[in-house]
Amino acid sequence: MGDIVRMIVVLSALCGLSGFALSYLKMVTASGIEEQVLTYVQGPAIHRVFTGLDNNPIADRKTFALPDGREVRVFPARRGGLLVGVAIEDKGKGYGGDVGFMVGFNVSDDTLAGIGATELKETPGLGMRIAEPAFSGQFVGKTLPVALKAQGGSIDAVSGATISSTGAVTAVNNAAAVYTALKPEILKTWGK
Amino acid sequence: MEIFQLFIAAIFVNNIVLAQYLGNCPYLGCSKEKGVALGMGGAVIFVIIVSTLCTWIIQKHVLVPYGLGYLQTIVFILVIASLVQFVEMFLKKMVPPLYAALGIFLPLITTNCAVMGVTILVQREEYDLMTSLLYGLASGMGFTLALLFMAGIRERLDTCRLPKALAGTPIALIMAGLMSLAFMGFKGMAQ
Amino acid sequence: MSVMHEFTKGLWQDLPPFRLVLGLCPTLAVTNSANNGLGMGAAVIFVLVLSNMLISMVRGIIPKKVRIACFIVIAASLVVAVELLMQAYAYPLYQQLGIFVPLIVVNCIILARAEAFAAKNGVAASVADGLGIGLGYTLSLTFLGSLREILGNGTWFGAPVMWEGFEPFRIMVQAPGAFICLGLILAGMNVINVWQARRKGLREPDPVGCGGCGCCSLDKKD
Repeated sequence: MGDIVRMIVVLSALCGLSGFALSYLKMVTASGIEEQVLTYVQGPAIHRVFTGLDNNPIADRKTFALPDGREVRVFPARRGGLLVGVAIEDKGKGYGGDVGFMVGFNVSDDTLAGIGATELKETPGLGMRIAEPAFSGQFVGKTLPVALKAQGGSIDAVSGATISSTGAVTAVNNAAAVYTALKPEILKTWGK
Repeated sequence: MEIFQLFIAAIFVNNIVLAQYLGNCPYLGCSKEKGVALGMGGAVIFVIIVSTLCTWIIQKHVLVPYGLGYLQTIVFILVIASLVQFVEMFLKKMVPPLYAALGIFLPLITTNCAVMGVTILVQREEYDLMTSLLYGLASGMGFTLALLFMAGIRERLDTCRLPKALAGTPIALIMAGLMSLAFMGFKGMAQ
Repeated sequence: MSVMHEFTKGLWQDLPPFRLVLGLCPTLAVTNSANNGLGMGAAVIFVLVLSNMLISMVRGIIPKKVRIACFIVIAASLVVAVELLMQAYAYPLYQQLGIFVPLIVVNCIILARAEAFAAKNGVAASVADGLGIGLGYTLSLTFLGSLREILGNGTWFGAPVMWEGFEPFRIMVQAPGAFICLGLILAGMNVINVWQARRKGLREPDPVGCGGCGCCSLDKKD
């Protein structure tokens, strides 16, 4: 009997200790992990949307609060010291889970500067093609909101991947809603 | 259709041993006879399915809601290890014929990275429960298939005259390489 | 049995993937470039040294029946620590190694060293053992990774090393290349072993083979 008690005590003490140590480590590394994920996942997407920037959008990012209490990260893009656009990430429902896009907006005329995929688990060769320029390039210069041709808009869906394409459009429109809500504040923060 | 494609792809195109490099230790260790290979394969299929089920439920209903996703590794290995013990006891008591067939292989499966690999893979791919179980079944079948092929070849190799340096594991690895080359031919069959 | 000996044996005499044939899955999977091999090796050194250290420290209080479970808890916690640290400081490497980072926990090397060495020896010797075996593993992985990267991609640590117009053997950085390369290296090890034994006038050693990890030996565990 004593043996069993000892086994249980040792095992649970070990599990408890490791749990404590790991949650502490998680706390310590949390900000580092966030920074790395932003640099290596969101960063490339932003640079696909805006080229030739002279600031680092990741380092200059700011978190804004929406009227409904949700917090979003906004990445400013500057050329020649002027704010030319902002990038906002949002999601839509795709075929294999969420599809995430970094959506860039031109602040001068509220058009789309482009989109870059950040999170895709679609079918390779089919839904995955929404990340290719043939599809995502269509968004450049479009006015808000966007819609697929089938819904009377101007975006051609990837053939055979309507769900994924709709997910991309939803992500863009979600980001657009955030952009419209935050625009006054964005201009106030980063200037014209 | 989508599910069927995934199933075939998991067996042939993304074969767990030959394309994903998982479960190589038993692949080389248990492929000396066809009977042993079949037993090991059966045990792996069984354990993969049961542990995919358990870890899927734990991940979706415990780890994710409580923000403990980072503990995935430690929780999964403990679940798999205790599950294997439990399955062994259960089979011994309740289904002796199955225990007689698979029993000796069960303790060896805890450290088989194919099992752990599949449970983590289905989480990373975010499959739903049904797809995860099917993927588990298909991966197990792919493992068994590769193991059986290898055992068939090695039984013949035993009667061949090999350079001494190549005998045993080296020739098995080179055979695995050629087999993996052959399996690459399935690429493009299902994406 | 000095501490120094425990350290150096891992570098040649018990070289993990090539002599003991341990920890094959990551050996094959992550060695498509020298850099990945080195990164994986570093992660294994971290886990192995600390798990050996912790296990030899607590070996007195762990009941024999649950020792394997305790080893697994310790190793798994360390692997989670590696995952977190790698994400915070080397995210691209974390993305490259993929599921093979969490799979370090089922790498036979960790449990085999815990059971065979750390559970029976003092802290200093265990740390030396872990460091030696880990370093041997890292060197082997880097060697295999270099070989495959140079032949399959014409580069070494990302820098081009082959002559102009070299046509890389693409197959070397894919799965078949991994198996064939490792097979040939093991065959090479066999040749060296036999040659060494002959020179010293000893009996010819058995060829290297799988079985050191115990995950396939069909004996029932106690």
